Amino acid sequence: MKPAIRTEGLCKHYGDTVALDRLDLTVNEGEVYGYLGPNGSGKTTTIRLLLGLHRPSGGRAELFGVDAWSEPVAAHRRVAYVAGEPFLWPALTSAETFEFLARLHGGTDVSYRDGLVERFQLDTSRKIRALSKGNRQKVQLIAALATRAELLLLDEPTSGLDPLMEMAFRDCVKEAKERGQTVFLSSHILSEVEALCDRVGILREGKLVDEGTLQELRHLSVQTVEVTFMGRAPNLSPLEGVQVQSAGPNALRFEVSGSVGPLIAALAGVGGNSIKTLSSREPSLEEIFLHHYDGSEDRVRA
Amino acid sequence: MSAPSALARRAFRDARTRTIAFGYLFAAYAYIQPVGYRHAYPTLSDRLAFAHSFASNDALRLFYGYPYSPLTVSGYSAWRVGGTLAILAAVFGLLAAVRALRSEEDTGRMELILAGAVGRRTMYLSAMSAITAGTLILWLAESVGFIAGGLSAGGSAYLALASVSVVPVYVGVGALASQLAPTRRIALELGSAVVGLSLLLRVIADTSSGAGWLRWATPLGWTEELRPFTGAHPVVLLLPAVASVLLLVLAARIAAGRDIGTGVLPARDSAPPRLRLLSSPTAQALRTERGSLIAWTSSVAAFAFILGMVSTSVSSAGISKSVQREIAKLGSVSIETPAGYLAFVFIFFILAVSLFACAQIAAARHEEADEQLETLLSQPVSRHGWLGGRLLLATFATGALSLTAGLLTWAGAASQGVSISLPRMLEAGANCLPVSLLFGGVAALAYAIVPRASAGIAYGLVTVTFLWQLTGSVLGAPKWLVNLTPFAHVGLVPAQHFRAEAAVIMLGIAVSSALAATWIFQRRDLTGP
Repeated sequence: MKPAIRTEGLCKHYGDTVALDRLDLTVNEGEVYGYLGPNGSGKTTTIRLLLGLHRPSGGRAELFGVDAWSEPVAAHRRVAYVAGEPFLWPALTSAETFEFLARLHGGTDVSYRDGLVERFQLDTSRKIRALSKGNRQKVQLIAALATRAELLLLDEPTSGLDPLMEMAFRDCVKEAKERGQTVFLSSHILSEVEALCDRVGILREGKLVDEGTLQELRHLSVQTVEVTFMGRAPNLSPLEGVQVQSAGPNALRFEVSGSVGPLIAALAGVGGNSIKTLSSREPSLEEIFLHHYDGSEDRVRA
Repeated sequence: MSAPSALARRAFRDARTRTIAFGYLFAAYAYIQPVGYRHAYPTLSDRLAFAHSFASNDALRLFYGYPYSPLTVSGYSAWRVGGTLAILAAVFGLLAAVRALRSEEDTGRMELILAGAVGRRTMYLSAMSAITAGTLILWLAESVGFIAGGLSAGGSAYLALASVSVVPVYVGVGALASQLAPTRRIALELGSAVVGLSLLLRVIADTSSGAGWLRWATPLGWTEELRPFTGAHPVVLLLPAVASVLLLVLAARIAAGRDIGTGVLPARDSAPPRLRLLSSPTAQALRTERGSLIAWTSSVAAFAFILGMVSTSVSSAGISKSVQREIAKLGSVSIETPAGYLAFVFIFFILAVSLFACAQIAAARHEEADEQLETLLSQPVSRHGWLGGRLLLATFATGALSLTAGLLTWAGAASQGVSISLPRMLEAGANCLPVSLLFGGVAALAYAIVPRASAGIAYGLVTVTFLWQLTGSVLGAPKWLVNLTPFAHVGLVPAQHFRAEAAVIMLGIAVSSALAATWIFQRRDLTGP
């Protein structure tokens, strides 16, 4: 089975600026892939290349084994796209926009669309130019979801949506996953990615700096262990991959990269009996993300 | 820097390309006329013959206005330049005001500025001072053109002032239209309708006997009443001054009292779905362009009908051979018969249809700049399918416009009992096609290669080659240089034969440019605004 998305050494330069640098990415069918990165890191560039809207400076991108640049029409029959900025036709109403996009794409599930209109509480008789940004975003989303395309390319799809609509969106993505659709979700809203995605890629200045399931990313990342002692906190000899901070007169906080085993052994060595409480916390996606982005170059594992 | 001056500088910078282009055009046109006249009619007898045959011809006043003194270099210049540049000045004023007011509001930039410590009055006045600076540049450019062409400094300044005095009136029209209309497009359409109506009034005033008083009803007529070089009436300047102040104050009052982002005319924001013309990108483009297509067609139809009617008044007085030759050089054939006259006016229809063809390509570029094209092409829609459909639509619309010109000219002429055959006039209409499609093809090529600059290149090319056609031979330029303009290769139907060979070559260039455009467009990144 061909993967839904595959890129090989995909590059894009705009003049001297390197927007995307040798991206190798595979998203399998049925997967929900979170594509994370701050503004200007190359997320939208990636999607434009995947859609064949911009021409790769190097490498190639395939959707279901079809080259994205040379055969865009064949590729797009299996894809629905939601842009970060809703660029629609101001003089058409939402209903007319749905009709137009449905005729262009083909295969739209009209009853599902009507259900979505209900769910997203959209007035379809309003012209696009009279809609707020959030409502225009809904029009795009509904049109894309209603195609039931095998691959949904979503570029910051919830920008402008209120929290209720964001929940409705999450439900829709979960349903799409249950139906076996593939979702490529570009976002900088970490809670959204954490809630929806099977796998996550982190983009920094045009390079994919980390990739994996949330579990894998957590495993590779720092976890926090806090220990409170009965009396004064003991002095521990330095351990590799462990940073120690004081967290009060009787407490220590450890930032552990990799396994916590050596730390536990060391704590047992200085007298396990004196330990009052021990808590360990997995890093949130936010911490993983910030770990890649806190500015110091040496902390990035490329 | 204070807020008003920062805003004014910003507005001036936004308009700099347009201001520079118009400035060059004004200077060049002002320079060419006196020089060309001296060259073509060196002696008094030449000029008398010219005045007798050409200038007293009712039908020609349509384009150049009323000639008060065509026997002197300055009088001739005032006649030839004043009328034409006044029309361009009106367009300049309208574009400047709508761009500085309505476009700023449409894009949401005005909201951003007004959210800061800037009031509406400051915003408005800054926009106006930027436009004033642009207008002064046009005035200087035109004056310098005349002075370089050998006219007196004072007279040049006054003549330039006469044509530029039109600008503030149409800035007022544009400012008012920007308050009334809810979108830039509608504002431009309203303003264009006013410019068209003003021109129509001047045409009737200049050509129909007994309707001369109508000149007072149109700002384009006021320019003529200023009578540069022929007994100046500077007091007439009060008219444009009062009119522009009234319009600008009215616009400012409306601007002060309404919601930002809306217009006074209600925008219909809800509608029951109309599902016609949604089956393909081309159909949808036709749906979007429908309003402007109707506006173009009805304007061309109105002018064609009037020109047809006027063709009956062409004088058949004896014209000397040498003068006939000069007239022929001006882009025409003998204009002493209705057929000859109609052939001459069709040069202007060819110009209008060429501009229309470029406007169609500009509309395609607009769809890309507004990034709706990104939405389209992320659907299963091919690039060549989209551009090909757009080009086909442009071709059909251009053809329809051309035939409308032919048909309505015939109808106008026939209504006055001029005997001219319908097929011949339809042929004259179809004769607009090779040149306009040539420009359309070149515009498409420019669009594919340099999307952001393409509209400027296309309109500029049409304007420059047309002015060169009107002036090149009069200036005595070598034949090969004159022949560079496609307009020189048109057989002027109905007075001359249709030049099939030239038409085939032009269509060949048009088709190959369009194919090259499609090929190149297939290979480039989509380009935002």
